[in-house]
Amino acid sequence: MNKIHKKIWTLTTVILLIMAAIWITLTYYNQKTQNQYNEILQRYLRMNEVTRTSQQMIADLNNYFITPIPENLDKLNKSRGKIENAKREVSYLRNSENDFALTNYMNLIDSLVETTDRSLLYFNEKETEDSAKEFSEATRISMYISEMTLTLIDSELNTYERLYRGIIDQSEEIKKLGIWLMLMITCLLMFLTYGFSLSITKPVQKLTQAANELSRGRFHLPIKVDSNDEIAFLAQTFDRMRININNLISEIQHKAQLEHELQESKLLLKESQLLNLQSQINPHFLFNTLNTLSKKAYLEGSHETSDLLVSVAGLLRYNLKRLDRPVTLREEVMVLQQYMDIQKARFTDRLHLKMSIDETCLNVDIPGLTLQPIIENAVNYAVEPREDGGIIWFRIQDGNDCVIIEVEDDGPGIEEFKIKQILQGQFIQKDGNSTGIGFTNVVRRLRLFYGNEDVMNIESSAAGTKVVITIPKDRRGAA
Amino acid sequence: MRKTGILVFCLTCIVLGYFTFTLSKKAFTSEWDLPAVSDGQEAKYRLVLITQELETPFWDKAGIAAQEQARKDGASLEVWGSYGKNQEEFLKKLEIAIQSKVDGIIVQGLDTQEFKDLTKIKAAFYGIPIITVANDVAKSESLRKTYVGSDQYLAGQLIAKQLLDDMGYKGKVILMGDKHKEFYQRQRLDGIHEVLKDYPNIQTVYAETTDVREEIIAATQNMLNQNPDTDSFIAIKANIAGAMIQEIGRRSQVEPYYIYSFDDGPDSISLLTQGKLDGIIEQSPEKMGSLSVELILKWLRDEEVPLKSEGYLTDIRILKAMEKQ
Repeated sequence: MNKIHKKIWTLTTVILLIMAAIWITLTYYNQKTQNQYNEILQRYLRMNEVTRTSQQMIADLNNYFITPIPENLDKLNKSRGKIENAKREVSYLRNSENDFALTNYMNLIDSLVETTDRSLLYFNEKETEDSAKEFSEATRISMYISEMTLTLIDSELNTYERLYRGIIDQSEEIKKLGIWLMLMITCLLMFLTYGFSLSITKPVQKLTQAANELSRGRFHLPIKVDSNDEIAFLAQTFDRMRININNLISEIQHKAQLEHELQESKLLLKESQLLNLQSQINPHFLFNTLNTLSKKAYLEGSHETSDLLVSVAGLLRYNLKRLDRPVTLREEVMVLQQYMDIQKARFTDRLHLKMSIDETCLNVDIPGLTLQPIIENAVNYAVEPREDGGIIWFRIQDGNDCVIIEVEDDGPGIEEFKIKQILQGQFIQKDGNSTGIGFTNVVRRLRLFYGNEDVMNIESSAAGTKVVITIPKDRRGAA
Repeated sequence: MRKTGILVFCLTCIVLGYFTFTLSKKAFTSEWDLPAVSDGQEAKYRLVLITQELETPFWDKAGIAAQEQARKDGASLEVWGSYGKNQEEFLKKLEIAIQSKVDGIIVQGLDTQEFKDLTKIKAAFYGIPIITVANDVAKSESLRKTYVGSDQYLAGQLIAKQLLDDMGYKGKVILMGDKHKEFYQRQRLDGIHEVLKDYPNIQTVYAETTDVREEIIAATQNMLNQNPDTDSFIAIKANIAGAMIQEIGRRSQVEPYYIYSFDDGPDSISLLTQGKLDGIIEQSPEKMGSLSVELILKWLRDEEVPLKSEGYLTDIRILKAMEKQ
């Protein structure tokens, strides 16, 4: 959860470490150089110290000779101590190249001290002349010491020249190194910072893009962020939200579609009823009249006419009643038979109907007035136009989990594009030579009723047309 | 695009890193070879060779040979001295050497009171052994341990004999010497006189001068004026030869004169090769250098005590202009 936090800390620590390392190195180097400088200076100062103290001692000796009081003697002794000290210090400066000269130098200091002592001794013993002689010698030695100091410093310079030049060169190198180092660190830090900022902004950018897509209503694009910080977590939650929304939307769409289908089926039903009503001026009057005609015909001995009229009346009643609710196949078949009775009366020998019905299949549900229009169609196209009539086969078979209804004729067949139009629900019948309920209507109702597009199939050739309706035994999904 | 960017960046990084690395390697590795710190424990003998004429061919040879010998024997030796016979500087160096309490002093003898005081009193006071080299000072006056160098008396004899060979037994010889007759010059002169005294037909004239060039020229002029019939010159002190020959050359041809000298002057060899000198006494400076060091070390190590007080003589021979050419 603290990934970005950690990243910032890491970056800062790295920068800090680099800086600290550089600082330590430079400080260490500086210290080293400083020490070297100090050492060099120390060498010169020590040598100079010898010259100074030797001169001081001569001056003190002289002072004592002029005014021989204990304070001056003290001073002399003090500077004597100093020169001994200086000598000890100088002895540390020994190296292989100034070995000889340094030994001489130190011996010279010894000689100076001894000569001074002797001079003092003679002075105390009142041997003024000897004392003066020794004093002049001491003065000379002091001078020699000064000279030798210069010589030593000179040789020191020669010996250490390379060292000095090295130091100068090195400081130059360090300056250059500083520039290069700064360039490199700048480069490195820029890279680090770039990578770091990218690792934060890139997921954010992706997220923004995804949000944009969502706001445009594109819910199907998955949101993927390959980072290991909070942004990735955010992206995951966001993605989950997207999926949820997507699911909800598809659910709503599905529901809307169902609603739409329902509406459509209702509309179709209304249309059937409307067509029916239009064609029935006064169905009850017609129905009563037909019954009266039937009785009359029966009384007059025309049994055949009477039966026909009964059939017409039954058909009429069925039409009035059954249009808006599902019926069993059995009822549908019964109506079909009545209808065929009427048609037989009309076509007599020209119409041959051959039925083969599997009685076990007659209990399935089917929308009302679906078979009659199909048969009517077959009669209209396969029998009516032909002088010598035609044959119509009607079969109901058991197809395991479904019932197969076949209506076959030996008519001239239907053109291919018409079949397509019918199956797509676009075909519109023009002639009024029917009960009014069109083929198209039947197809659509069947489909809506069973929720299945493949309910009807039409095979047609020059030798006849076969309409196959496949009805599932168990109606799935309540429409 | 992104790939190229990263590639360019990596390359820059590598280049920068390389430069930085090499520079830091250069900057942080010190290659200062300081002289080794001497432990000072080694009881090395410290010797000094002091001459009056540094950087003359003669003393260069002696100095180099001495240093060689010192290195061989494990002693340290330095060559000190003055340039061009600067006596004051020379004596100062000698005094510094004594006051510095070196273990041994090899010195070109100088026949002056100051020199003798230093060697006899100072050096003896500090117990420093002194060996004279090339030029001797009598032992009784300097308290030197021994002398290493040519037999100057013999050198004088050799030069006189050569003169006889070249000139014949008749003639006039001008002997030019230093006003301040040093011990070695007296010996040379004695040698020459020793040979020539047997030949009464040879007349010798002795002239004295100082080291100053003008005076040498004046003395030469004087001699030539007084003795126009002179046949030969001998410069007892090698340093005189240069100015002397120059003056003779101004007067007349140099060739007719028989001119002889010694090899311990700064220009002796070059004069000989130019043919202006007819002959010089060639000494053995290398031998002097190495032998003196060897002897003083032997004395210091108590290997050869006492040293021969009359000295250890090195070879001399006459070098003629013909040979040199």
